Amino acid sequence: MALLRPSLPPGDRFGLLAEFPTPAALYHACEGVRDAGFTRWDAHAPFPVHGLDRAMGLRPTRLPWISLALALAGGAAGMGLQGWVSTIAYPLNISGKPFFSWPAFVPITFELAVLGGAAGAVFGMFALNQLPTLWHPLFGSQRFERASDDGFFISIESWDPKFDASATAELLRGLGATNVETVAC
Amino acid sequence: MAEHAIAPPALHPDVFRLPAAHPWTRLPLIGSALAVTGLGASLALGLGNRPQLWHSWLVASLFVLSLALGGLFFVLTQHATSAGWSGAVRRIAENAMATLPFVALLFAPLLLGMGELFHWSHADAVASDPLLAHKRAYLNVPFFVARTVLYFASWCGLALWFGRLSRRQDRSGEHELSRRMRRASAPALILFAITVTFASFDWLMSLNPHWYSTIFGVYFFAGCLVGIFAFMSLVAIAQGRAGLLVEVVTVEHRHQIGQLLFAFVAFWAYIAFSQYFLIWYGNIPEETGFFAERLSGSWRPASVALAVGHFVVPFFFLLPRAVKRSSAALAAGALWLLAMHLLDLYWLVMPNLHHGGMAPHLLDFTTLLGAGGLFLAAYGWSSRRQALVPLGDPRLSESLTFEVI
Amino acid sequence: MNGTHNESDPVANQSSQTVGHPAGLGVLDPPDPDPLDHRAPLILGGPSFHDVTEAVARPLERPPTLGWWLCFLPSVAALGLLGVAIGWLFFEGVGVWGLNNPVGWAFDITNFVFWVGIGHAGTLISAILFLFRQKWRTSINRSAEAMTIFAVMCALIFPGIHVGRPWVAYWMFPIPNQMAMWPQFRSPLMWDVFAVSIYGTVSALFWYVGLLPDLATIRDRSRGLRRMIFGGLALGWRSSMRHWQVYEKAYLILAGLATPLVLSVHSIVSMDFATSQLPGWHTTIFPPYFVAGAIFSGFAMVVTLMVITRKAFGLEHVITMRHFDYMAKIMLLTGMIVGYAYGLEFFIAWYSGNAYELFTFKNRAFGPYAWAYWTMVTCNVLIPQLFWFKRVRSSLLWLFVLSIFVNIGMWFERFVIIVTSLHRDFLPSSWFYFRPTFWDVATMIGSFGLFFTMFCLFVRFLPIVAASEVKSVLPQAAAHPAVAPIVELERDQIPGGALPARSAV
Repeated sequence: MALLRPSLPPGDRFGLLAEFPTPAALYHACEGVRDAGFTRWDAHAPFPVHGLDRAMGLRPTRLPWISLALALAGGAAGMGLQGWVSTIAYPLNISGKPFFSWPAFVPITFELAVLGGAAGAVFGMFALNQLPTLWHPLFGSQRFERASDDGFFISIESWDPKFDASATAELLRGLGATNVETVAC
Repeated sequence: MAEHAIAPPALHPDVFRLPAAHPWTRLPLIGSALAVTGLGASLALGLGNRPQLWHSWLVASLFVLSLALGGLFFVLTQHATSAGWSGAVRRIAENAMATLPFVALLFAPLLLGMGELFHWSHADAVASDPLLAHKRAYLNVPFFVARTVLYFASWCGLALWFGRLSRRQDRSGEHELSRRMRRASAPALILFAITVTFASFDWLMSLNPHWYSTIFGVYFFAGCLVGIFAFMSLVAIAQGRAGLLVEVVTVEHRHQIGQLLFAFVAFWAYIAFSQYFLIWYGNIPEETGFFAERLSGSWRPASVALAVGHFVVPFFFLLPRAVKRSSAALAAGALWLLAMHLLDLYWLVMPNLHHGGMAPHLLDFTTLLGAGGLFLAAYGWSSRRQALVPLGDPRLSESLTFEVI
Repeated sequence: MNGTHNESDPVANQSSQTVGHPAGLGVLDPPDPDPLDHRAPLILGGPSFHDVTEAVARPLERPPTLGWWLCFLPSVAALGLLGVAIGWLFFEGVGVWGLNNPVGWAFDITNFVFWVGIGHAGTLISAILFLFRQKWRTSINRSAEAMTIFAVMCALIFPGIHVGRPWVAYWMFPIPNQMAMWPQFRSPLMWDVFAVSIYGTVSALFWYVGLLPDLATIRDRSRGLRRMIFGGLALGWRSSMRHWQVYEKAYLILAGLATPLVLSVHSIVSMDFATSQLPGWHTTIFPPYFVAGAIFSGFAMVVTLMVITRKAFGLEHVITMRHFDYMAKIMLLTGMIVGYAYGLEFFIAWYSGNAYELFTFKNRAFGPYAWAYWTMVTCNVLIPQLFWFKRVRSSLLWLFVLSIFVNIGMWFERFVIIVTSLHRDFLPSSWFYFRPTFWDVATMIGSFGLFFTMFCLFVRFLPIVAASEVKSVLPQAAAHPAVAPIVELERDQIPGGALPARSAV
């Protein structure tokens, strides 16, 4: 899990925040920003706009592998624990069933595998997203509060190699931004 | 994958029909040749070995029946849920269910073999066995035959009715027909559930008349679903390779069928394990005999192969998204699962004949050739008489732009 | 409306073509002449994104209504009763219940299975309907998931308190201890411990993950203490698309995991009975039969709660009659599966030739508990047949009343299975009748108190509709306007006829 503040390079200007009127406008703007070669940027919307990850050029996430690994670990732990307990640590004769009665171990093994997978998905997602990050420069913008309501935004960080205060703002306005503001750190 | 939303395909009408000179138009002929060869060889080989003949014939017939029933189930559920994604592939299932009258023809000779198949059909056995005497009200030849007729009448009736309405809708495009099919699909599913349950009791469970399991109908049903989704995957891929419906049935449809195949492999395993586990745990002799038989001799590795091959391997194989979106990989998986489904049916039937170990026989292959040929011939004939997709389906356009999550 | 194409209605058709989150299965646009269903959008009134935010957030931001207090206070009273009942139980011992020999399980395990079953509908709505891309789930999934968590909390009480020595209940957990003792993992009761607690944990994780964006929404609208609390809970969510991408994957994985979890948990609960050798308990169909029954009773509880909640919070345009229509149909389906299982058990009981098995079923229908059995059959098999009728599915009163009957019926199903099989098994000299005591009933009522208290707190303090998910299924959420393929066909060019000239919508 991440620290509660994002790790950003030194500087007092975070970057630009551009607002767009609709998901469609945001989509096309993202394609424009992606094609212009920016790397340190992000889009913000109150729900995941379908196809936007492709428009931004994002690569698929590694999360499924994390989840799978933890699921297998959980299942192995389950079968291992039960097997060890029933054969070595505390073997009991239960209605003549064999000590390593694997069919009877399946339910708990399965449940622990699911738990592992779920934990992998959730905590993996937190880790990959670096959550919790309770404070972020973007929260300094009043308008940004609409990102969780009905606003659609693109933010471009000033540390991006292609960033230029006026040119980037022009680009964003050209792509259809209704409002472009500078966000301080 | 497209960068933007799926662009509307500009579709030429020829896309939806089987071209007159296409190799697939010869499917009925090829199928018939296979059927005649297979069934002929079976009869020749089997006259001297009637028990083997009927048992092998039963496995082969149940195999093609399970595909036909799976097709019927798919069509019914797609109508019941007003599904939009499946239009482009629903005709595959419709053609599969259209084979039901022909599959009925396969079962007719089996009625002649009842003596070799069913222990309870012998009067002297019933007289000396109190359990069989108790079941006589249900397990007797006239009632059994009547039930079989009833099952096939129901299934053929449903298949013909839904097929006919779908074909009529191709021509007229009436939405009212979809509504009628939707309203009929719910009672049809009830009829399906009852008939398939009791058919599995009759044709499979009563092979061992002392044994019983309340989940058995569900188990057979789960196998039918694995079979049909494997079959639909293969046909969808083969169609594309044969140049048919290339822009209509997309990777998205194949992915979706692959997801359903994966889900029902897991469902089959769940049902199969429930049955095995509960009987294992209770350890009551009148129930455990079924599994004890299938874990003795060379049946034991067959059972392990079934568990590993029908569940463990396909589960991890079909798990990744990339596999379901790759035609070659999905086809391999589907073909494997069809083979596993056949093994499942073999495993259910054959231990009643070959106690103590597997004994594959040439008749197993000739009967499969015969039944499979008949199924292919009927499937091919059905696909020739109508368009390759249900043209009149009101949701067809939605199906054409369908995208998996 | 009478067989006409939807060509002329771009809005409705657009919504059916959107491949949003999740992509539609066409259920927005069925060719149905029924006035309620035909072209009925899932969210009525064409709200904007902000309207959805307001509708969902406003109830939290104003003081609770009189209606809320009228639900909350009796619930808390019942919760108090639960506390007293459990306290007395621990003080006096399990003898305060009506349990005897041979009926060692009655209300306790009936309530356990009942509550676990109720929880399953929540997971089904959240997870399984998500995998089937049923957009209509977005209005009800948050409440349904909350219901799951509270139901699991109620369920877990019973195994905990019904053991004779609850002060050593921790022995059920595989914790290394000074006695070098370990749990007996071959026992279905141990599987329950793991299954139900993992189910509760995963459901809570799923619910929390789903809540994150809406917690951020509330945070951004609030000031002061509420902003701090929701800000902390929202973990700093900033609606970033990079985060959404991973989030969506996590959601999909959780949905994919929760689905087999639902199936497995109630199957494992059914194995409490099916792994025994008792007639009426030991039968292979129990796992899927119990799962179907759980979904049945769970949906009934969702309907009961939603009828009240949507009215109380003014959410009629978000939780619409179409949602109830689908829920009623699911109840009809699962009710018929349950009926199928009843019939099948009876048939196989006869077919098996096992005298004890057949007696058990005859005893259920005609013995001393026949009143319970026929209540069960009436409520579970006969009454849900009313859901075949559109008029019934469209009437909130009918839906409310029938859903309560279903829950009564499903409670009795568990009671019948447990008690009738126990009270008369193999040895007639051991036969005895079970009567509940005051404390049996008090504990049961108390568990409802816990459930409704938690639910009242939930609707008071948290957003009860998944606002971000609802927004994503609105027509204006699509990044590209929906385009249908233009299929030009001539009548005479297709074997067997052709489509009308254009099927473009």
